[in-house]
Amino acid sequence: MKLKQFRLAVAMAAAALTAAGAASAASAPSVIKIGTLYAGSGNFAVASQAQYKGLQFWAKRVNAEGGVYVKAFNKKIPVKIVAYDDQSSTSTATTLYNQLITQDKVDLVVSDFGSVLTSVAIPLAKEHKMLLIDPTGSSAGFFKEKTDYLADVSIPSSAVWPMPLAKFLEQEHIKKIGIIYGSNDFDGSQADTLKAEFKKIGVTPVFDHAVPTGERNYTVLLHSAAAAHPQALIELGYLPNDVAFLKSLKSSGLHFPFVFTIFPGQFKQLMEKNVGADALKYTYSYPAPPMIKYEKVNLGMNTDQFVTAWGKTHKGAEPNFVNAGGYNAGILMAKAMGTSPKFTQLGMHQALLDMSGKITTVVGAYKLSPTGAQLGQRLPIAQFQPQKDGSLKTVVVYPDSHKTGNAIYPSPAG
Amino acid sequence: MQALLEYAIVGGVLYGIFFGLVAVGLNLIFGVMRIINLAHGEFVILGGFGAYWVSHSLGLNPLWGLPLAALGAVVIGFPLYYAVVPGLQRSRDPEMLSFILFFGLAQIIDAIISLGFGPDQRSLPDEALGGGTISVLGQAFPDSWWVAAGVSVLAILGLWLYLTRTRLGFATRAIMANRDEAYATGISVDKVSAIAFIIGLALAGAAGVFVPYLQGSVGPGIGNSLTTTSFAILIIGSLGNPVGTLFGGLVFGVGSMLMQTFYASWSDLVPYVLLVVIVLVRPQGLFGKAVRHA
Amino acid sequence: MRESWFKRARAGLITAAVLALVFSLAPNVYNNSSLLFMMMTYIVLSQGLNLLYGFTGYLPFGYVGFFGTGAYATALLVMKLHLPIGLAIAAGPIASMIVALVLGPLLRLSGAYFSIANLAASQILFIVIGNPNLQDITGGPYGVKIDEVYNPTASYAAMVVLVVVVTLIATFFRRSRFGQGLKAMADDPVSAEMSAIPVVRMRLLAWLTSAAVAGLAGALYAWNLSVFYPDAVFTLEISVFAIVFALFGGVGTVLGPIIGAGLLYALYNAIGISEPQYFQLIYGVLIVGLVMFLPEGILSLLTRRGINVF
Repeated sequence: MKLKQFRLAVAMAAAALTAAGAASAASAPSVIKIGTLYAGSGNFAVASQAQYKGLQFWAKRVNAEGGVYVKAFNKKIPVKIVAYDDQSSTSTATTLYNQLITQDKVDLVVSDFGSVLTSVAIPLAKEHKMLLIDPTGSSAGFFKEKTDYLADVSIPSSAVWPMPLAKFLEQEHIKKIGIIYGSNDFDGSQADTLKAEFKKIGVTPVFDHAVPTGERNYTVLLHSAAAAHPQALIELGYLPNDVAFLKSLKSSGLHFPFVFTIFPGQFKQLMEKNVGADALKYTYSYPAPPMIKYEKVNLGMNTDQFVTAWGKTHKGAEPNFVNAGGYNAGILMAKAMGTSPKFTQLGMHQALLDMSGKITTVVGAYKLSPTGAQLGQRLPIAQFQPQKDGSLKTVVVYPDSHKTGNAIYPSPAG
Repeated sequence: MQALLEYAIVGGVLYGIFFGLVAVGLNLIFGVMRIINLAHGEFVILGGFGAYWVSHSLGLNPLWGLPLAALGAVVIGFPLYYAVVPGLQRSRDPEMLSFILFFGLAQIIDAIISLGFGPDQRSLPDEALGGGTISVLGQAFPDSWWVAAGVSVLAILGLWLYLTRTRLGFATRAIMANRDEAYATGISVDKVSAIAFIIGLALAGAAGVFVPYLQGSVGPGIGNSLTTTSFAILIIGSLGNPVGTLFGGLVFGVGSMLMQTFYASWSDLVPYVLLVVIVLVRPQGLFGKAVRHA
Repeated sequence: MRESWFKRARAGLITAAVLALVFSLAPNVYNNSSLLFMMMTYIVLSQGLNLLYGFTGYLPFGYVGFFGTGAYATALLVMKLHLPIGLAIAAGPIASMIVALVLGPLLRLSGAYFSIANLAASQILFIVIGNPNLQDITGGPYGVKIDEVYNPTASYAAMVVLVVVVTLIATFFRRSRFGQGLKAMADDPVSAEMSAIPVVRMRLLAWLTSAAVAGLAGALYAWNLSVFYPDAVFTLEISVFAIVFALFGGVGTVLGPIIGAGLLYALYNAIGISEPQYFQLIYGVLIVGLVMFLPEGILSLLTRRGINVF
């Protein structure tokens, strides 16, 4: 009798297990849907499409290997990217993010490039209890309180970008500083950080002007900046601003001992094409990966591998920083799916938090705060130094841990 | 301080003259056809991409973009005029209807540029227009600014001569004054308007050639701001009068540069504040005849 | 003898009821509530613009200025004074009416001059509010964040109410002596003045009503969005869309802007969702085609056949 009972129990348990196994296999989706937006036109088109290409690049590679490993289902599942064009418009982006969440029922949402197009996704993600993977929306305002539904994965908050720059200027005893910055969150928060850092060491900028975000004409402004005789002139803008600024600087015939702009470090090729190597020489920027190399990574490809692989699938083109940022968002999502025991939004968020501080990728150390902010991946300072063959070499001059050479300061005239 | 002031004024004059050229084509089309060409900025951008194309693909001096702009204006403008303008004129409120139509057209042009050239900004080499600087009153400005201002003055002067010294020009002005009367006096309104339309587009395209020099680069997506600034300038000047537009451009240019020198973050306000003040104080513009009613 | 009050308003009441029903039930069928919310926002804005343009002939290119003013008034009152959201929303239309009063002298201008001056005015508001020097007051380029009052369901319901209210206001304009007087002024200002219609005062009233509608729409939009930059509520795209939708439907009617905004905005999204790659191109071609083949708006298909459109 007892034996019979035991057998029955075993049979039932076995049946239950099989059923459970069948159920879990049945609930594993045939594809993992990743929803994202890109800007086909408008102000953010260049950077947004670069990020989208990076994400596509990741998806293609993952699918070539049979898909992404999802721990909850213990198998590889192919990835499908669902993407819409928001035309750089926040209202269009709002409806399309919602479309991704409510209609396409994507498994993960990746926000479009930059803070402006990310901003509208944050409340939506929270409302629908979706984890928002945020590659490049870095406004400090997003990360004020603890959240389970936001993770900035590829760039640090823009407010911390200029910390190394401030330290470097202090180290070089450069005290007369001029700042020109765009009237937007991205540039304004960097200018605020710089000014706050300078204040700590008793330095007040000798020239400090905000300009409209759409400013394209710096000739007259440069002239007024020159009248204040700064040792260092720092222009914080978007890509078109930096192009216009550097072009104006070159054609004005003015000379400053130290010039800093943001985007040559992220889009060097594009900048060289637009403003010429001549206009960039001896200027400084934040050198972003792949311009600076991370050789020892423990997730995904290292910088050299990434550059080579990218070239193979993009007709030999060199990837830029935002490409790397899109790819980085992909590999972190994959890692989260591969480690989270449950295929849920909260599970994946927890996995992203658990990885924090333990992982280095193509864009550097990854460190996620409970508020969703990215604390790793500090950007160093580099100078573009002309070589004998006329090319520009990116020399990292600060901090010492990344240093590849000494700054040439003041920059030679002419 | 005085040096800064002088520099801002000389720079503003050059910049403003160039913006006179940017706006003058819009003025002509608006004045003659009462069409609100919301795609004006896009035509300027097309001119910029044309110059980029002759410079990069053909290896020619970007100034060859000027004849290309004229050619492009004929090729695009002639069919476009006959496809849309006569129909608009027959509608109840052509001015406002043209607003939507040209908004749609702007979308199309923007999309085509983005699909064809990609979203990147494009620049042109400084050396092509000299690459040095020229000083006036001790204020050095890049050669390209002087070339742009020179071409702008010539183009606007040419338009003025056309309007005041040729028979077609007389007819054009008659249509500007009163379209119905012009019909009645036997002017072939459509032909004259079509020519004005083409000239307007050509001038926009010609301005575009210099956009990469005065604005650093040209790319899809800057059309809107070019269009709104142009509207401001043409109203500051006055409708129908190219010399007025040149003057409107000067006021805009000098105002913006002075503002940029002393209160940079507010410099965007200049064209709009000027516009509102001027239309309220002198609605006909600085150079025009009265138009207000009620 | 004039028809009774109810008879005149009947079509408007039916339209409002249908709209209320459709937008209350729609989320059960199609739960992209952002899209439905934006559609209602554009119905309200097109109708508000119609109150001015359809009845007075003044086309405000800078209509978005009132929308942005309303959005900012609400957001700032919540952020700075911690007002309850209801009060903050009520402040939206008040702020936009104040702006409309200040801009009142623009009504002296005619045609395109008015339109462009109004556009300039909206740009001025945008530049001032987004200016870094005013960061302490307006948040400047850093935008505003009121996620503590974020409530998608309540803001959606409020927008449904606004759609109803605006439809009723439009009905009043269409069916009252006031609206007819406005139209008479637009057609012939001189004789309207001679027949003792208080031209200036009535026009100003239409202007203020139109501004208040946009201000209220902006206030609700701010509540629904809860995190935004100045550009999001001052972008010219909003003006342009409202104008395109109103004209496409047919101005001077009640149904025109509703149908125009509903249909064209749905099409806009359908294109964006099915053909993201050619989104802008197809939408542009669609608009040009509509203007060329339906220059008097879609309702002209009916009026041409002698059907009187409400």
